Amino acid sequence: MAAISIQGITKRFGSLAAVNNLRLEAAEGEILGFLGLNGAGKTTMIRILLDLLRPNSGRALLFGYDCQTQGLQARSNIGYLPGEMGVYSDLTGRELLDLLAGMNRKPIDKKLRRELQDRFELPDRDLRRRLREYSTGMKRKLGIIQAFQSDPALLILDEPTEGLDPLMQESFYQLLADVKSRGRTVFMSSHVLSEVGRVCDRIALLRKGALVLLSPVDECRKLAARSVRVSFSADAQLGREFPPGIEVVAASPRLWSLKVEGPLGPLLSFIAALPVRDLEVAEPRLEDAVLEYYREDAAGEEVSR
Amino acid sequence: MTGAVRLLLHSLKRSRTLVLTTGLLLAAFQVVLILVARSMYRSGAFAQLANMLPPFVRALFGPSLVSFMSFSGIVCVAYIEVAVIGALVAISIALATIPVSEIETGFIDLILSRPLARHWIVTRTIVVLALSVSVLVSMMMAGAWIGLETLAPRDAPWPSAKLIESLGLNLDLLAISWGGVAMALGSVSRRRRVPSGIAGLLALTAYLLDYTGRMWKPAESIAWLSPFRYYTPFDLVMGGPLPVKNLMVLAGIAATGFAAAYVLFSRRDISR
Repeated sequence: MAAISIQGITKRFGSLAAVNNLRLEAAEGEILGFLGLNGAGKTTMIRILLDLLRPNSGRALLFGYDCQTQGLQARSNIGYLPGEMGVYSDLTGRELLDLLAGMNRKPIDKKLRRELQDRFELPDRDLRRRLREYSTGMKRKLGIIQAFQSDPALLILDEPTEGLDPLMQESFYQLLADVKSRGRTVFMSSHVLSEVGRVCDRIALLRKGALVLLSPVDECRKLAARSVRVSFSADAQLGREFPPGIEVVAASPRLWSLKVEGPLGPLLSFIAALPVRDLEVAEPRLEDAVLEYYREDAAGEEVSR
Repeated sequence: MTGAVRLLLHSLKRSRTLVLTTGLLLAAFQVVLILVARSMYRSGAFAQLANMLPPFVRALFGPSLVSFMSFSGIVCVAYIEVAVIGALVAISIALATIPVSEIETGFIDLILSRPLARHWIVTRTIVVLALSVSVLVSMMMAGAWIGLETLAPRDAPWPSAKLIESLGLNLDLLAISWGGVAMALGSVSRRRRVPSGIAGLLALTAYLLDYTGRMWKPAESIAWLSPFRYYTPFDLVMGGPLPVKNLMVLAGIAATGFAAAYVLFSRRDISR
């Protein structure tokens, strides 16, 4: 059974379709990155999963339970980290954690909470302080702890590392690896593509509320052109046309910088007769593939204006 | 303990400072009134005061005003004092708009992402509102009782316990009815200041409408629209019976507001 099943969800705000006939599934045990530019509909979809927003059509299921008609069962085993955590500033960190823990059906494991506190360097002393005294980063750590403290089967995280310093980001990635190894499912939105490339199994990319890319991260990387540098022991002449899929970024007699889409075979054949000294191939980056989609999105915006 | 009960306890805990502080002030006000009444009683000022009233004032307010020119009447003045009524209505409105304030801050996202039904948000608020307002009125009544027992002359005509209870019940329901109005408004709002402001303005308008209706015949035809029309402390002080019909109207307004809040809140989008 899929942990998340989104079946043709459409959500309109007036004439604007924030989510448009979205179909998507997240398998149990996977980490699915949910990407898109600002306003693409990521947070709207997350709020529909939590039954905070009601879709105009379609339905969403969490572990087989309809988010709207069986909301209590659907939300019985999830952890949620909002993009911006609204709290009563006069509560202490511990009061907030206890209050939210008490609202879960399953009691929390104090040992796990302690472990999370240690991992994110949020000692008891800090938990005794009022939330008005917390920095953005501390609030984020607290948000992560409240989402993970009941060890839920599904974690829905909206921009989880926003406001965390690099060391804490590292701790967070380690935490994700741990929960994944225990078979938990993670559905996270993020703008940090390097982070998505590092922690996610698959990505789903939204553009204007519609799904434009759903792919395993490794496959997605292959969509990006690879950077290739070819150096020569003697001057090489650019006599012929390059095969299709190869773009020249810069070329001097002894060094070519190229972008290669697809397999490297045609390039190797092309340079076989040349005095090649060295060949450097940089691994394709997820960022390059996704940024292409983002650029198309932005270009579309320009055209529509 | 269920999540709903935890949320209720949390909300009660949050409102306790406001409720207890205001309740103590109201109780203290009752004690002050009893001191004033004792002083006037001992100096025989009540009869002089009634005689000093100009005839047009007597004509305007009728015999009910004279009823307040007595030991018992002065003790009950808190129930017609606009500041007391205003404070109770304002607190009721503030408590009724807790859900919209939680939407505004985003705190509700954390609550409703747990397995907690939306109707609990409304139910919790109704319980907090009803309990808090009742505690406030009870503290006012307790202030009167303590003041009478410790400070009032034994031979003075004390107000009966039944009168104080009737006044308290009527005031309690008046304040809760405004909570119902504010809660219904809050169920379709995103910002707390909107339902609070509208409910506050409505309350002020309704108060003036009722007041005008009592003074000016043409306004009387629409004064029934004001919930304040169903709050009748003057009649009670004059020895009238418990106005069951009025209490039912006030309870009906509150119930209608709460029912509207349940329906609207269950259907709305929760977003800032």
